[in-house]
Amino acid sequence: MREIYRYRDLILALVARELKVRYRRSTIGFLWTMLQPLLMMGVYQLVFSHLFRFPIADYAIYALAGILFWNFFSQSIVSSMNSLRGNAQLLQKLPVPKAVFPLATVLSGVLNLLFALVPMLLILLFTRHTLHLSLLFLPVAILLAALFTLGAGLLLSPLAVFFHDVVELIGVLLTLLMYLTPLFYRMQDLPEKVRWVVRFNPVRSILEVFRDPIYYAKVPPLSHLAVCLTIALVALAVGAYAFKRSSDRIPFYV
Amino acid sequence: MSPPDAATEPPLVQLSGVSLCYRLAKQRIPSLKEYAIHWMKGALSYEKLWALRDVDFTARRGEVVGIVGRNGAGKSTLLKVISQVLKPTGGKIEIRGRIAPILELGTGFDHELTGMENIYLNALLLGRSRKEIDARLAQIVDFSGLGDFVRAPIRNFSTGMLARLGFSIATAWLPDILILDEVLAVGDASFTKKCTDRMREFHDAGTTVLLVSHNAQAIRDSCTRCVWLDAGRVRIDGSPPEVLDHYAHDRGTEPVERQPG
Repeated sequence: MREIYRYRDLILALVARELKVRYRRSTIGFLWTMLQPLLMMGVYQLVFSHLFRFPIADYAIYALAGILFWNFFSQSIVSSMNSLRGNAQLLQKLPVPKAVFPLATVLSGVLNLLFALVPMLLILLFTRHTLHLSLLFLPVAILLAALFTLGAGLLLSPLAVFFHDVVELIGVLLTLLMYLTPLFYRMQDLPEKVRWVVRFNPVRSILEVFRDPIYYAKVPPLSHLAVCLTIALVALAVGAYAFKRSSDRIPFYV
Repeated sequence: MSPPDAATEPPLVQLSGVSLCYRLAKQRIPSLKEYAIHWMKGALSYEKLWALRDVDFTARRGEVVGIVGRNGAGKSTLLKVISQVLKPTGGKIEIRGRIAPILELGTGFDHELTGMENIYLNALLLGRSRKEIDARLAQIVDFSGLGDFVRAPIRNFSTGMLARLGFSIATAWLPDILILDEVLAVGDASFTKKCTDRMREFHDAGTTVLLVSHNAQAIRDSCTRCVWLDAGRVRIDGSPPEVLDHYAHDRGTEPVERQPG
């Protein structure tokens, strides 16, 4: 822990580099993060009001809130799995605390999510002509999501070093998980028989904390928050423990 | 010269009975599926390659220790263990003081970034804070002798220029222990001289230097002690002329150089 704090400037530099690399090749730079949700919103509006009809009011907002969350989660997982392998050379030559790499990855994911929230808020303002106070709760939701994602990233990134094909496997599992997360549907739209699967999906719980203020304009109930905080902390504890245990072996395998 | 209390002070580097084993999978097992299959068969066997066996080694303040040995004798592994990059499989290691590990110049350089940006990134990777780097930036640029080139992306730098930059960053702060792995071989004569001067400067300030080199003359000139590593063990630890003579003699009797393992 203290090691990581000592390297805080490095973490910030890695985050800055990750953002820079991501937007270097495009001409309008990081405006893309902002523009993309707007365009996606247009696509959803088009597809779901004309092609598929769901009985969900303001469907595009519902879907977009879910997608923003999902993109943060899945992209952070995939990038943190690549973060150790991408720095193989470094890990074999310098005594850097290895956790800085997945940590920087998740942090830059959080920043991207924040950028993407700007157009989301604009869309809310335009469609509903008001911004509800419950949106002030979003930082807490994002913090929960970040802790949970960091836990998953810490667990999976060493695994990706030891077994290269874990990256492919996780790619498939993430797709499965995406369908088990109510991004495009609501829980009550599911057949009774399969609803429990989605209910026990921890990603679903965290997603709701994030989507409640945006779509339902409400702060999630305290009981649900307690559950999510537990999920996030357990994920983080498991991830940190697994990472710490395997950390010494990482330079031998990257 | 070294401070007077160097003899009573506990050694800066102390290794006792250190071994390090690289586990090489006998069959390459790159996938989970194969791992599972092998695991179930109980056939998960590894070829053990002991890069270091029961190494005892100490270095006191102000010593300059040269490490010699054939390719694959464990020299670089030893430096990695002392740098705390690799954790030994067995034995005890104690380090007192701040290490500047130069196992390779310019590790962690990002070729898309400019020289200046890389100074920050590299020094941060070495554990420096942004404030510390701000304070030494001019000095680093100056020592590298790269002038205005530091504002250009380093992807167009030559190997020599990268080495200059890397060395300037890694040695911008006075360390307690400096670790060099054959890095001074690159760069032109004037820069090599600068590097040697800086090492001497560090030595005078009490830094312990550990270096791996195949250049016997360099070791004779700059080291106060020499260690000969052979197949992961310390063969002789003594004064440079003595150790180098034995080493040269041994090589003479074995004409066929073994290939790196």
